[in-house]
Amino acid sequence: MAPSAKPISSPVPDAWYPTLAVLLLAFGLVITASFFIYEATSSRKNRNLAKELTTGAVASVFLGFGSLFLLLSSGVYV
Amino acid sequence: MKRLHSDLSLLFVLGFFTLFSNVCSDLVISKLDRQIDLSSQIVRFTTSLKVENNGAEAVSKVLLPYPESQAKNLAFLSVTITEGKGKTKTSSDRLYVDVSHPEGMPPSLTWYAVSLPKEVSKGGSLTLEVKAVFTHLLTPFPEKITQADAQLVAFQDSAHYLSPYAVKIQSLTVKLPEPKVESYTRLENTKFSGSEIKYGPYENIPPFSLPTIVVHFVSNKPFSVAQELVREIEISHWGNVQVTENYNLVHAGAELKGEFSRLDYQARPHVRGASALSSLVARLPARAHSIYYRDEIGNISTSNVYSDSAKTLLEIEPRYPMFGGWRTAFTIGYGLPLQDFLFKSEGKRFLDITFGCPMNDIVIENLIVKVVLPEGSNDISVVAPFSIKETRETKLSHLDIAGRPVIVLEKTNVVPEHNQNFQVYYRFSSFSLLREPLMLVFGFFLFFIACIAYVHADFTISKSSPSYIAKLQWDEVQTAIQQFQNIMNRVLVIHNKLEASLRDLSRTGDVQACKAARKTADAFLKELTKESKPLLSFLQSSPQALQITPKVDELVIKERELQEKLMLKHSMVVDSYEKKSGGRDIDNRVAAVQQKITLLRQEVDDLLEVIDEI
Repeated sequence: MAPSAKPISSPVPDAWYPTLAVLLLAFGLVITASFFIYEATSSRKNRNLAKELTTGAVASVFLGFGSLFLLLSSGVYV
Repeated sequence: MKRLHSDLSLLFVLGFFTLFSNVCSDLVISKLDRQIDLSSQIVRFTTSLKVENNGAEAVSKVLLPYPESQAKNLAFLSVTITEGKGKTKTSSDRLYVDVSHPEGMPPSLTWYAVSLPKEVSKGGSLTLEVKAVFTHLLTPFPEKITQADAQLVAFQDSAHYLSPYAVKIQSLTVKLPEPKVESYTRLENTKFSGSEIKYGPYENIPPFSLPTIVVHFVSNKPFSVAQELVREIEISHWGNVQVTENYNLVHAGAELKGEFSRLDYQARPHVRGASALSSLVARLPARAHSIYYRDEIGNISTSNVYSDSAKTLLEIEPRYPMFGGWRTAFTIGYGLPLQDFLFKSEGKRFLDITFGCPMNDIVIENLIVKVVLPEGSNDISVVAPFSIKETRETKLSHLDIAGRPVIVLEKTNVVPEHNQNFQVYYRFSSFSLLREPLMLVFGFFLFFIACIAYVHADFTISKSSPSYIAKLQWDEVQTAIQQFQNIMNRVLVIHNKLEASLRDLSRTGDVQACKAARKTADAFLKELTKESKPLLSFLQSSPQALQITPKVDELVIKERELQEKLMLKHSMVVDSYEKKSGGRDIDNRVAAVQQKITLLRQEVDDLLEVIDEI
């Protein structure tokens, strides 16, 4: 082994995975809920596509990273 | 026993050998000490030889011959130069050893040429230590035993060292697992004590002099042989190295004859089942986690884990005690922390992990090590301390598109001496780490897009049906009501602002600012009233809005009233400030209006709630 070799570790400490999963998923689900409330209550003409898309995008970022950390914390190392 | 003696034919070609012995007669072995360790199924030869050059020319190579029967079972060979004795003994690095075919030597021997780092000049000498590890050299005899019998094995070799060089003084020590010997060949100078048999010292033995010795002894160590072991090492840059090992194990000792009695075995396992394989200990690296032990039908519960800061010991028992000829297949798996095994140097990442299996005293006939690198790795190369057959494949796993690159390393006849680290170098961009989360994000986003598309799409088949038209109209009414609610909320916000400006006034006494606030509020309110007009007229004309219109109208009236009162209050307060009346005076004058405002505000809020519920 070369003396200059530096150990590589995960970008996020392993111990944070469960906490991150819970927080990100909770926040993601709240935004998802608001997305669906908006979809169900606003009438066809009042709907704003940009607003729907941004809510969806933000929710999917949180749900995506949340489910990644959920997988990692449950031992499925992707 | 016939098979055992087949090597005796070597003796007959002895004279043949002597003809060629002059080829390498420049070198002389002045002192040779040979130890054969028979304490397990893996036979280890440790030979220390002092080589002297008596010829005129310098010598850079030393030849080590092994008979064919041993050479084909040779698993590991290492040669080092040692200096000093006892505690001061030091060893050099392993010397380069190559298979060679010297001219004129009989083909029934396999020759290994040791390249010396420094030539041995005339009169010079050096001490070599040769470690050779063999598998399948011990033959069970008898080949079949009952459950109660002890396992007897036979070992055969030459009492003299097989060498093309003349040996001045040599001795041989055979170490046995137990001090129980059925028989052993007695030559001159043979001594048996404890669990050791000593032959020699013998002096001035000519090259290729080979008196055969046979040792027949008790060895109850189980002969666990993995016919195939597949180790899969999967790297995840999210912090884990997952190792999965699939064993295909057989007890290669004397086969069990007759029936197996579990009762006898359970009552006296050391007598009725002395040679049975009851447990295995895997020495896993420190901080190994998520350890499992299972086979095709599920978890095997007979296992234990002991861990400390240096290692993790996994003790596993097969589902049944394994007797000779019996076989089993199982899987063990464990996770290892990434930072202990993965390193970065000069822009490349490399995995540094042990090659062989973590269990002691297992012979692996065919070892396959698969290193699964993360998707997106490239520029892959393997550095191993011994020659390994290398192939490539890809594996599809969680959240993969193109599949992960897999390096498949294959080696036959692997012994614990092969438990050395090997390295897999590769390049991997940190951005590739985001591949999996971005895939998940994209997946969720597609789901949201689908929901938006579904809500926006109109799936009605009959566009002219009355119910559909009614629905469309109701949608329009709903739109108008929502817009109206929106306006109302904005109006209420302006009301709040006006109140706030009054509070500011009482604090700062700045009448001008308050007036300006009043002005902007007036403008806004006017605009909002204008905006709400078409909505109100639409609601009044629409038949669908019949039940809601009265509420809306009521709300408009109440709001107007509220607005008036508020303005009145505002003017009164501003006036009193301009006239510089006392605070209590203002409060008294405004009190009646304030009461009305609070009441109206309550009513407006209630009405808004009622409309919201429709």
